[in-house]
Amino acid sequence: MTSLPIGEPTQYAVYTGRTTSWPMVAATSAGALLIVLMGKQPDSTWSDLVIVVPLILVAIGVLAEVLTGSSVRATAGPNGLTVHWGLIGWPRCTYRLDQIERAEVVDLPWWRVSYGLWWTPKRTNCTVRSGPTLRLSLRNQRTVTITVPEPAAAVAALNEASVF
Amino acid sequence: MRWTIDHASRDRLQDQIASCVRRGVASGELPVGEQLPPAAELGIALSVDRNTVLAAYRDLRDEGVLEFRRGRGARVAAAGPALSSVTEAAEKLIAVGTKLGLGTNDLIRLIKDLT
Repeated sequence: MTSLPIGEPTQYAVYTGRTTSWPMVAATSAGALLIVLMGKQPDSTWSDLVIVVPLILVAIGVLAEVLTGSSVRATAGPNGLTVHWGLIGWPRCTYRLDQIERAEVVDLPWWRVSYGLWWTPKRTNCTVRSGPTLRLSLRNQRTVTITVPEPAAAVAALNEASVF
Repeated sequence: MRWTIDHASRDRLQDQIASCVRRGVASGELPVGEQLPPAAELGIALSVDRNTVLAAYRDLRDEGVLEFRRGRGARVAAAGPALSSVTEAAEKLIAVGTKLGLGTNDLIRLIKDLT
């Protein structure tokens, strides 16, 4: 058991959730392979550089997608929101409670889904499906949108934690 | 999956963590095959030692609720008893208590005294 410093809350409510999108990985792989096959010239062989180089690039792309975008693991509670991306849990990011201005559930339409990790100066998106999604508005004006199985439970855990 | 523990409770922390998992399995929130969070991550989130979480996971493995797979963490192995039987019993308790003029707080105090 870890002893808590005086003044620390004794009750902890934490939400954990994992979302994995294997259909997304399968669709990405199939689409990438199709592009390579369509680009192959009829008179070229599989050992030609024109085929090998795109194949390697596609393989790297699919691997990166599987490792970072196929799965999102989130933990919300007194430590804020910690997100682990991909099968190996990397990259990861923690948004502390004092960085979070507001947590809410938004209904994400399919055309706004990022299908993996997507970073812009104003936004961080890591969404693998449409529907109810967790969105954080940070104090530095950035927004973070993340797919979690039960976004309302994640919001509740963050709100409860910020009361202390 | 919602985890709630109370560091001031008389119950051991590992028992409270194990209860959260049992509740999740019984309610269907944790389906068979679902992977649980790594012990280190959950330990940090709940402000408990990693070994406390591991002890809870090991207890659940011994009960047959969880299974450990090398490199893939702890997963739910079997569905636990449905919560519906507990809900039915609670409804009966509330009905009897209401007849005797006991309020919600009285019933909660009674349960706390018995456990």
